[in-house]
Amino acid sequence: MSSSSTKFSAVTGSARKIKDNAADWHNLMVKWDKLNTDGFQFATNIVNMRNSQKHHQPLEDFPSASASQTFPSAVQQQAAAAAELQEECSKLQAVVDQMVVIVTKMEHLTTIQRGVQDLEEFQFGPEGRTLPLCHSWRTKDFEESSQVLLAAFSQELKLKQVILQKLAHTTASDLHMVYLSCWLHQPFVPAQTRLALEALLLETGHRLL
Amino acid sequence: MREVFGVFFLSRTLHSALMSLQGALRKSFAALQNHRAVWRSVLEECDPLMESLGNLGEQMQALSRVRVSDTPLGVFPDLQERLQFQLLQAVDVLLHRLWDRMSRLQAIRDSIGNQVSTVLQLYQDAADALGLAAATERSSVVPSLADMLGWLQDAERFYRRQFLQRKTLLQTLRLDDLAQVEGASKSWKSLESPDSEQQITDNLCRLSFFMESQ
Repeated sequence: MSSSSTKFSAVTGSARKIKDNAADWHNLMVKWDKLNTDGFQFATNIVNMRNSQKHHQPLEDFPSASASQTFPSAVQQQAAAAAELQEECSKLQAVVDQMVVIVTKMEHLTTIQRGVQDLEEFQFGPEGRTLPLCHSWRTKDFEESSQVLLAAFSQELKLKQVILQKLAHTTASDLHMVYLSCWLHQPFVPAQTRLALEALLLETGHRLL
Repeated sequence: MREVFGVFFLSRTLHSALMSLQGALRKSFAALQNHRAVWRSVLEECDPLMESLGNLGEQMQALSRVRVSDTPLGVFPDLQERLQFQLLQAVDVLLHRLWDRMSRLQAIRDSIGNQVSTVLQLYQDAADALGLAAATERSSVVPSLADMLGWLQDAERFYRRQFLQRKTLLQTLRLDDLAQVEGASKSWKSLESPDSEQQITDNLCRLSFFMESQ
């Protein structure tokens, strides 16, 4: 990301903080997106495994005794399948755990932003400073933007936690598909929310106008 | 005596008309080869888009059959509408990309059409003077004028029809008919016409000697 040279010269501590904040938000969202993609793969695997368990045919149809030495018994097969399923669930759990960390960092960024806002109110009164730190946004706008993003990702995380808990416990294929859709399309983080981040980056000079 | 067509005693003006017609034909067939390659690559870009479209149709169908409020997802009161909205947005993005490809296909169809009508016009201008014999004369390695013009027209008709069918499919896509959306990819694939394509390829093969000679 290139930084602009003009308006946001970052001489004041507050301006520096806001700019770094915006960069951190961007990085967190990039990490989130990667986790989302990985998680979708694991979630899909879980659904596929559940489906094949549903249609599992036991191998007891094989009559000969020697067959049981070369083919695993139905019990062994089921145990192996259960272990595989457990492994994918663990991977998905790990993804959600990392997403919890990201949302925690987002909370931290929002708190910092509120700190900047509080300081400005202290220095300049409730109206804030007269000359904006950036192109056109008041400091309050940054705080509000942070709140919006934080709320969206917190809610999305809650959704993912429900999916994580319930995905392996259902066999209804329509519900499976809805769980996967929810994971992939992230209904609480629509495109508009991401635009809010883009606006944030523009204002702080991380993206050139 | 030029023996490309084995036609003797051609007057000089007729001869030059014939040469320019042959030149135009070579140019058209060369252009057709290029257009076909570009057409194929644009269609290949459409395949994953259509597949994604069908996939989204499947997702929307599943969502319509589930009452989210009766599931563990019911703790999120507005989830059904939000997800529905996201899916529709995703469909919208896909359709945009598909229409972008369609306009590229349209440009190819138009190019082919222009090429063909130019050559046909050239022929028509010289037709009476050339006469039927020259038009239908063929050798073992070079097809007749009539054949070559016919093949060009066949190709033009093929691409015109393909474009119309594909455009119609996309235009008649109704987002409230989820079964149709889910089946879109299959319908798209069924528009392929490998026999007709092969026919054009075969015709172009018959032209190789003609294309190389001057």
